[in-house]
Amino acid sequence: MSRHVLVVGEVQSGHLVGASREAVGVARALGGGSAVGFLGGAASRPAAEEFARLGIGLTLLRDDGALEAAAPAVVARAAKLGAEQAGASVVVLGGTTFGRDLAGRLAAAWDAAAATGVTEVAAVDGGLRVRRPVFGGRATETRRLEGARQVVALRPHAFPLPADAPVAGTVEVLAADGRALPSSGQRTGIDAVAAGAGPSLTDAAIVVSGGRGLKDPQSFRLVEELAAALGAAVGASRAVTDAGWRPSSFQVGQTGRSVSPQLYIAVGISGAIQHLVGMVSSRVIVAINNDASAPIFRVADYGIAGDLFQIVPALTAEVRRVRGLG
Amino acid sequence: MEIVVCVKPVPEPDTRLRASANGTGLDPEGVKFVLAGYDESAVEQALLLKESLPGSKVHAVSVGPAPRAEEVLRAAIALGCDLATWVEAPAEVGSEPIAAARAIAPALRTIPHALVLCGKQAGDDESGLFSGALGEWLGEPDFGYVIDLRWDAASARFRFQRASEAGLERWECPPPCVIALQQAWNDPRTAKLPAILRSRKAPIARVAAGSPTGDAPRSVAETFELPAPRTGARMIEYATPEEAAQRLVKILREEAKVFP
Repeated sequence: MSRHVLVVGEVQSGHLVGASREAVGVARALGGGSAVGFLGGAASRPAAEEFARLGIGLTLLRDDGALEAAAPAVVARAAKLGAEQAGASVVVLGGTTFGRDLAGRLAAAWDAAAATGVTEVAAVDGGLRVRRPVFGGRATETRRLEGARQVVALRPHAFPLPADAPVAGTVEVLAADGRALPSSGQRTGIDAVAAGAGPSLTDAAIVVSGGRGLKDPQSFRLVEELAAALGAAVGASRAVTDAGWRPSSFQVGQTGRSVSPQLYIAVGISGAIQHLVGMVSSRVIVAINNDASAPIFRVADYGIAGDLFQIVPALTAEVRRVRGLG
Repeated sequence: MEIVVCVKPVPEPDTRLRASANGTGLDPEGVKFVLAGYDESAVEQALLLKESLPGSKVHAVSVGPAPRAEEVLRAAIALGCDLATWVEAPAEVGSEPIAAARAIAPALRTIPHALVLCGKQAGDDESGLFSGALGEWLGEPDFGYVIDLRWDAASARFRFQRASEAGLERWECPPPCVIALQQAWNDPRTAKLPAILRSRKAPIARVAAGSPTGDAPRSVAETFELPAPRTGARMIEYATPEEAAQRLVKILREEAKVFP
C-alpha cells in the first residue's frame, strides 16, 4: 500500500544529516515514487540536490533564512504547509534533536498521530504500524497509528542509508512566506562542544565510551585515540562526567544521551543500569574491563577481560594497521 | 512569576517489567508509580526559579487515573510546589503523550503562567512528544532538550541552551512558553519528611480532561514484548594484548561486520 510521504530534512553545514538520509530510505519504502522532500533555509540548496539524488521525486525548498534558527513551532508550521502542498498523509523525520523536537508539535498542528524512536514502520489498513523500544530498551512495543495522518521520527541507525537513485528528482524553490509566529523565540548562537572533529554522539555509527576504570582524566585520551582510529564518537559514563573529566554532553545513559550505534565499545565501564539504558540497544556491544564479573559483560556481545591500559593501545594500533592508517 | 510544571507518573525505574494479560502493555499489578526522572528536574527547575523570583508560585499539573496521578502531585507538593491540579483521565490517556497533552491543555489555559515546564521525555514510553503538542494547543512556543534555563529580567526573556548534534545551542524566548528539560543537570532535591506528611493533606484541584473529537488520530498499543535475556558476552581468549586486539578486530570485521 503506497502513501504520499513527506520527509522533513535537517541540514548541517549545507548538507543533509545522516538521520535525514535514513528517513529518505523509509519514505521511499513507504511512498514509492511519491516521496516528497521538505527543507527550510536559505543555505539548503545543496541538501535539496542531495534529496533529489537519493530519489526523492520532488523536493520543496522553502528559501527562508528565518527557518535556520527558528523555534520548533515555526519549523512545524512550515513543514505542515509543505505536507499539505505535497498532499502527504505521512511525515518522516530523522532521529535527531531536530526531528524529535519537531514531531509532537507537527503532530498537534497537523492533527496527526505520532511516534518517535521508531525502529520499524509499515503501512497497514487505516494507518501505520510502528515498532519502538521503550523503558530504556528493556522492552519493545508496537503501536498502530490511526487516522488520516501520521508523523514518525526514526531511531538513529535503525534503518540503512539509501543509495543514490538512477533518476534524480526535481527541486522546487518556494519563496519565504514570512509567517513566523510572533514572539516565538530564536536561536542566538551555537557553541560547538569540545569534541574535536569526530562525528556527533547520536549520529555516529560507532561510539567508544570511557568510564571510571580509566582511573584519571589524562588516561581518557586512550579512549579518544581508539575513537579517532575508528572514526567514532566519544562517550563517557556518568562517573566520568560527574568527576569533571569530560563535559556532561559526553554522557551516555539515563541522565545523558541515548545512543544506538552499529558498534558500541565500553572501556573501563562497569555497567550500572544508569549507563546501560542509554546504550543497550546498540547493535553490537564490546566491553573491555579488568573485572571479568562486571555487569557490562552481561549485556555485551564480545568481551575482553584484562588491563585496559594494555588492551586499548594494542586495539588502537591494530585498528590503525587494518584501516591502513599507519 | 507563575510557573506550571507538568508531572507524569511512571513505573519506578527498577520495576521488573511484565506484559499485561492482553499483551498490549505493561502489567500495572504491583507496580509503584513515581514522579518521572526528567520531571523531577522540571520540578527542581521550577523551584529554583521560584526561589530566585520573590512572589512566584509553582503549580503542578498531572493527568491520569487515581491513585497514581494524585500521588505524583503530592510528591511535587512535598518538594515545594504551591498548588496542584489533577486532570482525571484513564491510564491510556495519561500514558500516551499526545492524548495527555490534549487532555491537559484546557486546564492549562485557565491557569495563568509565564512558563510551562516538563521533562523532555518520560522513562516509560520515551516519546518526547508531550511538550510540542502542548505548546501547539496552548499557542505558545515550545523547546525540548533544554539545559541551563535562566530568566533574564532586563530583557524579560528566558535564556537557555539546547543540546543538539550541532553542539550547545543558545536560545532566548519571551514568556509564555513551554520548555522540556533535557536531563538531571540540576541535581533535583529530595523531599523532607515533614513536607511529605503535610503534602498528604494538601488540597488538589480535580478537573475533567479535555476530550478528543470522534475522528481524532489515535496511537493504539498493540504489543509489548520483553527481549530474551542476553546470554552474556563471548569472552575473547588471549595471551598478549596484541592477540586480544587482533582477535577482536577479526571478529568485528568478519563476523559482526561492523568494522568501518
